[in-house]
Amino acid sequence: MKKDINSNGYIFLYATVLIVVVAVLLTVTALWLQPFQDRNKKNEKRINILTAAGIPNVDAKNAALLFERHCTAEFLVDADGNMTEDETGLPVFVIDRQTSVIPMQGNGLWGPIWGYLAIAADGKTLVGVSFGHKSETPGLGGEITTEKFQGQFAGKQIRDGASIKPIEFDAITGATKTSNGVREMIDGTLEQYKGYLTKFAATGE
Amino acid sequence: MANVKKLLIEPLRKSNPVTVLVLGICSCLAVTAQLKPALVMGASVTVVTALSNFIISLLRKGIPNRIRIIVQLVVVATLVILIDQFLKAFAYEVSKQLSVYVGLIITNCIIMGRLEAFALSHGPWESFLDGLGNGLGYSLVLVIVAFFRELLGSGTLLGYQVIPQSLYEAGYQNNGLMILPPMALIVIGIVMWINNSKTESK
Repeated sequence: MKKDINSNGYIFLYATVLIVVVAVLLTVTALWLQPFQDRNKKNEKRINILTAAGIPNVDAKNAALLFERHCTAEFLVDADGNMTEDETGLPVFVIDRQTSVIPMQGNGLWGPIWGYLAIAADGKTLVGVSFGHKSETPGLGGEITTEKFQGQFAGKQIRDGASIKPIEFDAITGATKTSNGVREMIDGTLEQYKGYLTKFAATGE
Repeated sequence: MANVKKLLIEPLRKSNPVTVLVLGICSCLAVTAQLKPALVMGASVTVVTALSNFIISLLRKGIPNRIRIIVQLVVVATLVILIDQFLKAFAYEVSKQLSVYVGLIITNCIIMGRLEAFALSHGPWESFLDGLGNGLGYSLVLVIVAFFRELLGSGTLLGYQVIPQSLYEAGYQNNGLMILPPMALIVIGIVMWINNSKTESK
């Protein structure tokens, strides 16, 4: 029995079978790999938080252990800087009882960028930062993840009295949009956390 | 065995997908600012071309002619998504490098080009080798272009500083234009010229 492979019936049948097979294959793989991927994402987050706070030599293997050891508190704060249970609160991670690490989200040129700011106990001085991006160009915007770019942030002042001071840093040549995105992300995040930073410096919690 | 060699070696120079067939130029511009992403991209395209060539060649007798392009696209897209998912689960670092290129791999003309030109009319094993050869030919051009762009544009190779500090102090400067896409096009043009002027006469 030789079927005509160019008949309409065959084409419909072929397309349907192909799509169903592919859909099942993709769904099964996605569900099966989900736990592994979630674990990697969580690890990635821990690595970024610890690196921003200046903990050396964090990698995927020891991230969970080091995070357990160094992260002394993890809570949400509201706009005034009080701890809250509300889910809309802003997350803060405290490393070694003194450094506060806060997450940031922003937009680069091609897609989202994100990062963490680590702020010393005085609520003013940056201990360090870490950045990540989804689709910035390697060699241009992608440079925000390099040590060279991130290193310049340590020691910068983010507050002048009670008001937030716009941060100054060397932008990346040829990646103006991504650099602007980084600046907007930092300024915006600090503005949101203003209450917490002021309070935190005053009480030294 | 002579056939195996021919399928693997020819796409490196004589029928190189980038310099002779002029396919996949777009991604050549995008990923060659540095050597490392070029290597990652080259490896991924090689794997995807070889596997999709193999699969399409297995299916070739049953694929209806009128929807063959769609079938090819579905196979390639599925393959790329599967590979990306596996990397995300088991080689997270590599997947972070690759995330930017997933879209570029699917739309790479070399993959579709080889499926149309080769896999539809040849056996699975030959198609697999053809995919491998073309992937390697593509990678070769990527690596050559990325080598010069990273060396002259950033003074580094694979992220390591190779141009000594003393040279910078003497007034040497990195060429910022090398990092931007126009220079990639010019470098590819030069590679094409050298390659084709050497091979055409034979």
